[in-house]
Amino acid sequence: MDDITTQFEECLRRHLRSAKPNPINYDVELVQLGLDSMTAVAVLMDMEKTFGIRFPDDMLVEGTFRTAGRLKEAVQLLRERQAS
Amino acid sequence: MTRSLPDQSLGPEWTILELLARGIIDDSEVQMVRDLLTTDTLKWGELLEQALRHKMFPMLAHQIMSASLRFDVPTNIYMHLESALEWNRWQIEVFRRETVRVAQALADRGIPFVVTKGMAFESTLYDSLGTRYMNDIDFMITPRDRDKVMTVMQELGFRPFVDWAKDARREEISSRLNPDHLPKLAREIDQPGIRLIDIDIANSLTWTKSPFDVPVEEALENPVAQPIPGMSGVSIPCFRPIYQFLFTVLHLFREAWLQKFVESGTDVGLMKFGDVIRLIDRNQNKLTDSELLRIMQTHGVTDAVAWVLRHMDETFHTHAVELLALEKHGNEKLLRSQMRSPGYVNAWSESMRGRLQSKSRGSVQPVAPAHRGS
Repeated sequence: MDDITTQFEECLRRHLRSAKPNPINYDVELVQLGLDSMTAVAVLMDMEKTFGIRFPDDMLVEGTFRTAGRLKEAVQLLRERQAS
Repeated sequence: MTRSLPDQSLGPEWTILELLARGIIDDSEVQMVRDLLTTDTLKWGELLEQALRHKMFPMLAHQIMSASLRFDVPTNIYMHLESALEWNRWQIEVFRRETVRVAQALADRGIPFVVTKGMAFESTLYDSLGTRYMNDIDFMITPRDRDKVMTVMQELGFRPFVDWAKDARREEISSRLNPDHLPKLAREIDQPGIRLIDIDIANSLTWTKSPFDVPVEEALENPVAQPIPGMSGVSIPCFRPIYQFLFTVLHLFREAWLQKFVESGTDVGLMKFGDVIRLIDRNQNKLTDSELLRIMQTHGVTDAVAWVLRHMDETFHTHAVELLALEKHGNEKLLRSQMRSPGYVNAWSESMRGRLQSKSRGSVQPVAPAHRGS
């Protein structure tokens, strides 16, 4: 597992109670891992802090974090944008 | 609504607040509050703390002043209550002027809206006594007018509240993810004791991703022109009684039923139930005909309304479920449930009365594992 994936999963596990003991399934809806409207805010803020990124307004929508896979793609995209 | 006197098992302090919240309606209740306020075992610290938690400090103050208990209350407490009531009256006065200013600007641009909650209730349900506490001024608009209203508010000097928030980024993200409201807005003012005026503008009667809703466009039709006390010839548009009732109850449901409000310490308080009791008391004829039931059934909100009214009846000994013919709605499973994530419902066993009195509601855990809600 690369560093980004490790940090990403640690970040999710800090907030999602059902993600803690299990391997993270990137296709399952995060709601099923315990995401609600409050933890969604906490997860996004933690991702911003952990990866030094900022979600633009157009990415602050449910689709961005529907699944762990979608959220990781968004994080990677923002990291790449920042690097360039 | 007729109701029996509350039992005093939670102490005289709590009984006083329950009586005040539901509204004193006869001499036996006046006497009961007076007796409780003058009992030797009354814990003033507890009474004042709970009154603050439930935003009832001005209401308690008014009760003590109007019952001529000047010499039955410790002097320092009496003086503080007196000041708090006067300050609340002053804040309401300032809020009224600001409400009219915003309302006129919205009306000038032809934007449909109503004023809701505290400002709408202060004169109609609380007799303009200055006893209804409010944090902010609330408006309701349609989702399609969000951008137009934002422009108007900026022209009036309002800025997003994030500028003053403890955690600006959290406010910003939360506001984006929950577009049932505009971002909370505020304006600095130069008035004694009041630095900021907050305005909360909703564009939904429920919340983002709610499984049910009452269309705002429908609710805003035929608003009532409500006179503003002390401002001759000036009025503000408010919901007509049926939609006022639905919005108030659904708003209470949102704050009481969604786990996030419990966890953030901003869930339901006594005064919110007091608003519903007074709304029913003062609009009984309009709420007991078939139109309300038809609207509730059309929009699938009957169970949510029944949930609130059952809790209210259990807590305050009212008979709202029977009065509104909702006996067959709001089943026990729903009554004891609380939403955590959309589509998930946690069983929850504590009584609403116990929950209202509890000072650590966030620590209350559901008693059964989460299961897929219907």
